[in-house]
Amino acid sequence: MNHDEHDGPRRIANRVLATLLVASLAGAVLLPFAAMAPNRLVSGESVSLLTALRPWQTLGLAALAGTLALACLVRPLGERRGARLTLVAAPLALLLTLYGLGDYAQRALTDASPAARVSQGAAFWVLVFCTSLMIVDAFQRLGSSLWLRSGYGLLLVAAVAALFATGTFNALSILREYFNIEDAFVDQFVTHLTLVGLALAPTLAIGLPLGLLAHRRPATRGVLFSVLNVFQTIPSIALFALLVAPLSALGDAVPWLGALGVAGIGAAPAILALILYSLLPIVRNTQAGFAGVDPATREAARGMGMTRRQILWRVEVPLALPVILSGLRIVTVQAIGLTVVAALIGAGGLGAFIFQGLGQYAIDLVLLGAVPTIALAVIADFLMQILVAVSRPAGAR
Amino acid sequence: MIELQGLTKTYGDKTVVSDISLRVERGEFSVLIGPSGCGKSTTLRMINRLIPLTSGRILLGDEDVTRLPAEQLRRRIGYAIQSIGLFPHWTVADNIAVVPNLLKWPSARIASRVDELLDLFHLDAGEFRDKYPHQLSGGQAQRVGVARALAADPEVLLMDEPFGAVDPLTREVLQNEMRRVHEQTGTTVIFVTHDMDEALKLASRIALLDAGRLVQYDRPIELLTAPAEAFVSDFIGKADLGLKLLSRRWVHQYQQAATTSGDAPHHWETDAQGHPTCLHGGRPTADVPPRVAVTDDWTATPGMTMKEALSRMVWYRVGVLPVIDDAGRLIGEVTLEGVMGRQP
Repeated sequence: MNHDEHDGPRRIANRVLATLLVASLAGAVLLPFAAMAPNRLVSGESVSLLTALRPWQTLGLAALAGTLALACLVRPLGERRGARLTLVAAPLALLLTLYGLGDYAQRALTDASPAARVSQGAAFWVLVFCTSLMIVDAFQRLGSSLWLRSGYGLLLVAAVAALFATGTFNALSILREYFNIEDAFVDQFVTHLTLVGLALAPTLAIGLPLGLLAHRRPATRGVLFSVLNVFQTIPSIALFALLVAPLSALGDAVPWLGALGVAGIGAAPAILALILYSLLPIVRNTQAGFAGVDPATREAARGMGMTRRQILWRVEVPLALPVILSGLRIVTVQAIGLTVVAALIGAGGLGAFIFQGLGQYAIDLVLLGAVPTIALAVIADFLMQILVAVSRPAGAR
Repeated sequence: MIELQGLTKTYGDKTVVSDISLRVERGEFSVLIGPSGCGKSTTLRMINRLIPLTSGRILLGDEDVTRLPAEQLRRRIGYAIQSIGLFPHWTVADNIAVVPNLLKWPSARIASRVDELLDLFHLDAGEFRDKYPHQLSGGQAQRVGVARALAADPEVLLMDEPFGAVDPLTREVLQNEMRRVHEQTGTTVIFVTHDMDEALKLASRIALLDAGRLVQYDRPIELLTAPAEAFVSDFIGKADLGLKLLSRRWVHQYQQAATTSGDAPHHWETDAQGHPTCLHGGRPTADVPPRVAVTDDWTATPGMTMKEALSRMVWYRVGVLPVIDDAGRLIGEVTLEGVMGRQP
C-alpha cells in the first residue's frame, strides 16, 4: 500500500529530521533550558530558553531551525542535499546551544552570591541530543565513508574542546564540581581505563585460542558456548557479588596472591568478572571469523604445501581478522560500560562518581561519571571501527 | 614420470580405492574418469597425500616419495581444484607466487616467472598482475588457478575437475587453453573428470575407475574400439559411439585432394588468392541449387576434429567441406564418403 496515495504529494523527504526538529522546538519552548539556584542545597528555579539566551543567540537558533526545516523537505533540496545542509546546520545549532548555556551561566553569576549555581536543564539536553541525532541520521542517509565521518567527528570534538578550553562552561555548576574533584577525577579516569585494559588483555589471550579450538574441533563448541553463555546471563552486579567470597578466600589462603592484590573487593573481582563477560563475544567472533574463510582456500593452501602454521598465519588469520576485531569492538565498548558497576565493589573508576553522586543526590557528580563514560565508549567504538576497516585485506574489501 | 603402485584406501571396513596401479610417462596427459563415488578424486588426492594412503607406493621419477614429508611432496606437485581456492587477500601475482615463495626463490626469478605464466595463459601481465581474485571472471580465475599450480614448474600437475563449475562456453575455451598449455609446457598431467567428452578431448591415456578399481587404462581409441569389459562401453555410452570416435580423429587424416577443374562430379571455384568461393555439384538432393557459395562457417581446417567437420556437413546439408589453411586458401576437401570409407 502506498501511503502517499492517501496523504497527497510527499512534502517531507526526511521524516526523522522533521521529527527531531519538532522535538527540539517543543523542548526548547516547553522545557527549562537552565536552572538557577542560590546555593547547593536548594533546587534551582527554571529558566526558559528565551530568558537565558541573548537575542542574537535566540535568533541564530531560530535561523538554524528554519534551515533544518528546509533540509527535511522534498522541495527545494531533496534528501541528499538536505542531509548535507543538515551536516552544516545541526552542529552549528549544537555548538550554539552549548555556548549559549555557558554564556548564560557566566552572566547569571556575575551579580549573584558565590554559592549560587547554574545548571543545565531538560531543554538543553533535548537540544544536544536531537542535534546529535540529526548529524548521525544525515551521515546514515549519505552513506559516507568511515574516514569522512571520523574527520567530521574529530572537527566537532575539537570545536567542543575549544569551548571547554576557553572557559565557556566554567561558570556551570558541573564544571565547578569538576574543578573541586579534578585530581580525583583524573585518578579515577586512569583507573577506569586501566581496569578495561587489564581485563581485555587476558580475554584476548584466552579467548582467541579458544575460538580457534572451537573452529578446529566442532565437538567442543557445544560445551564451550554453553559455559560462556551462563556467565553472560548472570547480571553484572550479581557476578561481582558472587566473586567476593571465593576471591577473598583465595587472597587469604595464598599470601603472595593477596600481596598482588587478589582480594574479595577491589580490582581483582572486577577484572575477573569483566574477563568472564568479554569471553563469549571474543570466542564466538573468533570462531565465526575462521569459519568464514572459504574451505576451498584452505584446501588450496594445503595442497600447495603450506604447513599448518603457515596456513594459519598467512591465510586464515588475515581473512578472519575483521570479524575477530569486530568482536573486540563489542567487548571494548561493553567493558567500558561494565567497569562503571565495578565501582560498587571498590574497584574505582568513573562509576565511583556516579554512585557517590547518587548517594548524595548530587546530579553533577553523577554526570561527571556518566558523560565521560559515554564519551569514552563512543570514541572507543569509532577507533575500533577504524581498526576493523583497516584490517580488511585489500582484496576482500 | 609418476607411478602409482597398489594404491589402496579404506575407511573402516569400506574400501574406497582398491589396489590401483598405473604409470604416467613424462609429458603425458592422463585422465581419471568414472561414475560418482568410483574413487577418482580420492586417488588423485592420495598422490599429494591430502588423503593418507592405507597402502601402496608412489614413485616420482625414480624416487619413492611415499614416506616423504607431505609439505615437501606437495611443493613438487601442482594442484588445481574445481573451486579454484584463490587467496582473496592477495593479488594475482602473489597468488601465483605462493609455491615459489615457499621454496624461497629469489624475488627477481619469481617476478619473471609470474609474467611468463600470465603470458602463457594469454592474460596481459600489466593488467592482471595487481588485480584481486574478486575482480576476475570465472574463466580468468580458473586460468590463474592453473597458472598458480604450474608456478614452481612441478614434476606433475594434478587437476580435480577444474572446469566443472563454469558455463559450457567458458569450459570449452578453458579445455582448448589447457591443451595448448600442455603442448607448450610438456608438463605431466593427471586430470580427474566425470565428463567423457572432456576426457576424449584432452587425454593421451584414460584410466576408467569403477567402485575403487581400475577397469582399463589405455589410449582413448582403445577404450572406444577395444573395451576391456562391458562396463567400459556402457560408461562411454553406446548412443553416440561413432561420433565419439570421430572426436578423436582429425581432418588432416581424412583430407583428400580438391578438384578445381570442371569435369569432376563436383569441383571448387577459387578466387585470385586461392580462397574457395563456391562449389559446383556435390549436393545429394535435387531440390537444392547446384551451385553453392562458400561461407566462413562452411569450411574445415586440418586440425579440426572430424566430429566438428561432420557436424558442419550435416548443418549445411552438403556432403563435402573445403579444407583451408591459415591464410584461407583451399588445400583439400573432406567428404561424407571419405568418413564412411575409412576404417576407425
